[in-house]
Amino acid sequence: MRAAQFCHSCGKVQPPAPADYFTFFGLPRKLHLKEAALQREFYELSRKLHPDLSVRADAREQAWILEQSSRLNDAYRTLKDPIQRTQYLLGLEGVQLEEQSKSATEEARTAGTVKKQVVPPALLEEVFELNLQLEEARLAKKMGEPDPELVRELEQQKKKWEAQFEESLEELKGYWHEWDKLIDHDAAPEKRAAVRDKMVDLLNRRNYIRNLVRDVNEVLEG
Amino acid sequence: MAYSDKVIDHYNHPRNVGSLDKSSSDVGTGLVGAPECGDVMKLQIKVNPQTNVIEEAKFKTFGCGSAIASSSLATEWVKGKTVDEALSIKNMDIVKELALPPVKIHCSVLAEDAIRAAIGDWKKKQETTKPAAVEAK
Ligand code: FES
Repeated sequence: MRAAQFCHSCGKVQPPAPADYFTFFGLPRKLHLKEAALQREFYELSRKLHPDLSVRADAREQAWILEQSSRLNDAYRTLKDPIQRTQYLLGLEGVQLEEQSKSATEEARTAGTVKKQVVPPALLEEVFELNLQLEEARLAKKMGEPDPELVRELEQQKKKWEAQFEESLEELKGYWHEWDKLIDHDAAPEKRAAVRDKMVDLLNRRNYIRNLVRDVNEVLEG
Repeated sequence: MAYSDKVIDHYNHPRNVGSLDKSSSDVGTGLVGAPECGDVMKLQIKVNPQTNVIEEAKFKTFGCGSAIASSSLATEWVKGKTVDEALSIKNMDIVKELALPPVKIHCSVLAEDAIRAAIGDWKKKQETTKPAAVEAK
């Protein structure tokens, strides 16, 4: 039983305290996580926080139960997914992608420089080229004249990007490992920031790859 | 989400879609992306070498309606401006003109980035093609 949701001595539901999702489950801020254990914990807590079981609770307590169980659901949904869990942790570590992108633009504006793109330019080129091909393929299909050569080419592309998408998860897990070690050793903030930034870069790239995979599949299957 | 009439107009009738010769020394190309959503935008300008006025601008955007509208508007705005004038365009000007909601602000940021990147590319070309002219300033 987690101290965060229940009273130590009487076991009654406590008012929801502002805690992050890791704390909610009594977990350290680490990225490797035993999903089966998390799930067990989730079921157990769900049972305890089930609104039907709270008929004997007073109104105030019922409100707490409701709030705790909705936090429980949010926390579980976020933590069980590897990508969402990573993004959530990065958010806790002060990463705000959109804000940072906007302030980088503002900096470039004041300094009169060109903003550095957060993903490698070569990837942007590839994304752009593939999108052009996809557009062509859609058009050809709409005209009722699908281009078999283009379709073959897209099938190659599909394989390539799906493989990269898989690889990106493996790469991410490597960074998890680095991260968790730093947490275990209570490492200095600069060291954590370095690993954090590597994860941000990776997730940025992965967003593009995810879209490509989605769009290639849509064109090939649709 | 409801798009404003201006966004819809640019979306349905995008101005200046297309491309310019990337290798020409008068052409600057900016290719930028918004990793939050995975959208990409290419904006190109053709600059008059005598006057530094942007004579032509083209774009191609793979992204949401607001990104398409922002880049379409950006090409309209930069045309006829000098390079330095074009650098004064801010993303919030685009937000205002198109009445973009807060969640779509990053789409306008993308358009400003694209303008800057295109101009930056053009400037770099000028330095490498005519170093003397730059030094003379
Ligand atoms: S949603 Fe990303 S550019 Fe518009």
